[in-house]
Amino acid sequence: MSADSTSLLDALRDELGLIGTKEGCGTGDCGSCSVLFDGKLNCSCLILAPEAEGREIVTVEGIADGDQLHPLQQTFLEGAALQCGVCTPGFLVAAKALLDENPDPTETEIRYGLAGNLCRCTGYDKIVRAVQEAAVQLKTTSEQGA
Amino acid sequence: MTATENPTNYKWIGTRPIRHDGFDKVVGKARFAADLNLPGQLHGSIVRSPHAHAKVVSIDTSAAEAMPGVKAVVTGDDFPALDPTHPNFDTAVNCMARGEVFYNGHAIAAVTATTREEAKAAAAAIEVEYELLPAILSIADSMAEGAPLANSNNYTRFVPPGDPSNLATVTNLDRGDVDQAMADADVVVEMGFDCAHVHQGYIEPHACVVDSGDGKANVWCSSQGHFRVRSMTADVLGVENSKVKVTPAEIGGGFGGKTTIYLEPIAAKLSEKSGRPVKLVMSREEVLRASGPAPSAELRIKVGATNDGELTAIDGWMAYGVGAFGDMAGLIGAMSVASYKFPNLRMETYTALTNTPKSAAYRAPSAPHAAWAIESVVDEIASELGMDPIDLRLKNAAVEGDLTAMGMPHPKVGLVECLEAMKASGHYQSEPVEGASRGMAVGFWFNIGEESSATVNLNEDGTANVITGSPDIGGSRASMALMAAETLGIDVYSITPIVADTESVGFTDVTEGSRATFATGKAVVEACEDLIGQLKARAATIMGVEVDEVAWVDGAAVSPGHGGGESGEPLTLAQITAQAKRTGGPLTATASLNAAGAGPSFAVHCADLKVDEETGETEIVRYTAVQDAGTAIHPSYVEGQMQGGSVQGIGWALNEEYIYDANGAMENASFLDYRIPVASDLPLIETIIVEVPNPAHPYGVRGVGETGIVPPMATIGNAIKAATGVRMTSLPMSPPKVLKKLNER
Amino acid sequence: MSQHRAFTGGEAVVRANGATVGQVINDLEANYPGLGSALRAGSSAGIGGEIHAEPEYLKVASDTEIYFLAPVVGG
Repeated sequence: MSADSTSLLDALRDELGLIGTKEGCGTGDCGSCSVLFDGKLNCSCLILAPEAEGREIVTVEGIADGDQLHPLQQTFLEGAALQCGVCTPGFLVAAKALLDENPDPTETEIRYGLAGNLCRCTGYDKIVRAVQEAAVQLKTTSEQGA
Repeated sequence: MTATENPTNYKWIGTRPIRHDGFDKVVGKARFAADLNLPGQLHGSIVRSPHAHAKVVSIDTSAAEAMPGVKAVVTGDDFPALDPTHPNFDTAVNCMARGEVFYNGHAIAAVTATTREEAKAAAAAIEVEYELLPAILSIADSMAEGAPLANSNNYTRFVPPGDPSNLATVTNLDRGDVDQAMADADVVVEMGFDCAHVHQGYIEPHACVVDSGDGKANVWCSSQGHFRVRSMTADVLGVENSKVKVTPAEIGGGFGGKTTIYLEPIAAKLSEKSGRPVKLVMSREEVLRASGPAPSAELRIKVGATNDGELTAIDGWMAYGVGAFGDMAGLIGAMSVASYKFPNLRMETYTALTNTPKSAAYRAPSAPHAAWAIESVVDEIASELGMDPIDLRLKNAAVEGDLTAMGMPHPKVGLVECLEAMKASGHYQSEPVEGASRGMAVGFWFNIGEESSATVNLNEDGTANVITGSPDIGGSRASMALMAAETLGIDVYSITPIVADTESVGFTDVTEGSRATFATGKAVVEACEDLIGQLKARAATIMGVEVDEVAWVDGAAVSPGHGGGESGEPLTLAQITAQAKRTGGPLTATASLNAAGAGPSFAVHCADLKVDEETGETEIVRYTAVQDAGTAIHPSYVEGQMQGGSVQGIGWALNEEYIYDANGAMENASFLDYRIPVASDLPLIETIIVEVPNPAHPYGVRGVGETGIVPPMATIGNAIKAATGVRMTSLPMSPPKVLKKLNER
Repeated sequence: MSQHRAFTGGEAVVRANGATVGQVINDLEANYPGLGSALRAGSSAGIGGEIHAEPEYLKVASDTEIYFLAPVVGG
């Protein structure tokens, strides 16, 4: 239904009502519009909506398991890793992509994994710590499950 | 970590509950300004000047009006002409030019259409004929003898009326005999500095939706203060405040940049003309070209000292470049000189107009520039005297009763405590890692009080709604809930903190000046105290005792026979509210105040860094921020303010700057080219909260939002000096500039 | 500000009478014409280490020191 020139970001927000994905720049420089595109981290402002035909798109709205928050969402809350909260959806998606790929990242790997996402409030400290804590929790859960 | 022992044992204050608005923000439900849509809504687009200074000869909107989907076009002619002495005259002209554009990016016309694309296409079809005027692009050009005027409506303040001028303020602060003290000093260091324009860089662009139906502008927008949006929008539209209602959306960062308006009156007028709700959202390029950066500055600072490290005199010259509309940046910069005793002081300051975007407040506005210069010079003095930089500062640190530059004595302040905390820190007590060097610096900010209101409604089930008018930028709802929980003695999660619209809560000033937790918090506490009085009276009725026999202890009414002696049970808040109807009706209280006694906050920062001598690039390997919070209501969000301010300052120090071409067009108007720090640029930011309670707040709050951005530039400059022997005097200390200085060694 | 001294013959500290800050400013205006309006252009007063915004009706005791300040803003 989208026009050929509509971005995936606008289609998500305007047509599907998924407002969790934010526009901070529209040029792929801030990461506020991060989504998983077939499991890979992408800026939805740089993707045309028709390109998403038949692909799996995960936005911040799809990270929780029903009412059960994803460990990243929980550690962001507990660790005060958000202040204004506008970059938070993008960070959660980018951090999920990072941990899906690398379940046991070093601090440096977390910092480079999140370097495409801008936050102006936190100085990144509590975001990095929240991702570290979520990684520990996810690892514990998967070990218990195994 | 808390460096000083807080004498009071609180149950809730100082704890770290999950913020009440947090859930919505991690699942994507929170509604920021651009997330709101109304039925029948149109989209707007703004035409902006491509010239830094020009007369507008004509605007032809006819082609645009004939384009598909276009519903309305507005220009400056659609807005009333305010008297130039009106306090919002400049704001009105900045929102929409009237016959003259003052910077590249200045709004000149706007259009609304069914879709964004149609609005953009129509905006591009509006033809504007300009006649170029001389553009002032630097402070030096602005202050040059015989310089053309950046804005012929500007007159110098605080002096007898004269001709239009490029100077908005020319002020002098002084005490003692500076010339004699400099002559008597054992060591004198004098250096010049400059700072480029930098942007607040909030991630959420300015946005609003306005529905002007039924003769009233209903505004939904993101701002630091919706009551100011109301009054400014009403003034620009030429209507009464009551004809504008503003509902605050969640705000995606502000840092001072959302204390004014840009879009709301334009959307209101487009809505009025089209009869439909209108949404306006700035692009990132528009944010950078047309919303307020912090001022640029040129400074010259001279400090004299004795051989034993007493700072005897400071002689300063400061000029701030603020865009084409006057403010008091220069004077505020001089007033922020308040860290040291300085028996002799002279500050000559200027606020200079330039044809660049109108500057807006940015976190401790004007103080970072001044501190960058002064703390660099003080560092040079410490080097010359061979003193530890903290010891030198401890020897001269301002304490209660010492004078600020303005001449007023400090109230109780915690600079000495912050310096001692830094000196004792694990960071300062350990050597920098191999190859790294260390610098430190001090920052000061006043903090402000101003007007706030709060209404607290107790619900039948013993929960409470805490309603304020302070937009929550970084966790203030949680702080309000904590103060209410502490005062009432109930669980913090029994409290629902609400930020209400301009018609649902009493007037409240902007969330700025680090004032929300201080002033609005004080109103919340006063309303809760009022409620405790009411609860005691209701309890007395239920218990059948006199009200003066009732005490309020830990969230319950206690009297002899009701938990106050050997027998009986206290009456809890929920038990009292359950019987509200029988004892006189709902329990509710409102408090409003104009808060005096805002507590100044000092910070001390320390950085270890390495400089790559081949590229000039600086890598920060360790960073610690110490700050006096008075009392940390929610320590996580206090730390967050300290860390966020530190990193904004690190960006200001190392990378961020407006780059203009020769005609005043910004050449780096994107987040790609205006590069703010990213996670991989930084180490963890260690924090030490010092608590020297502010006696003017019931829980000792000072306010913590702003001071953290003041010390980083000098902290880093001082560390670069330690690393390389080179004193950087121009911000940002970007790799090319550092490399140039290294090569000049 | 030293600009204010243009009205006071160079004095940085002057005495004035009044039960409120506004009355003090009126008294200063009577003795130093022009100073009152210059002080009202800035609108904060520092008393006892506290900065008061819009202090016109603020009561002051005798022998109170009042510091007239530019209004401080914030970010």
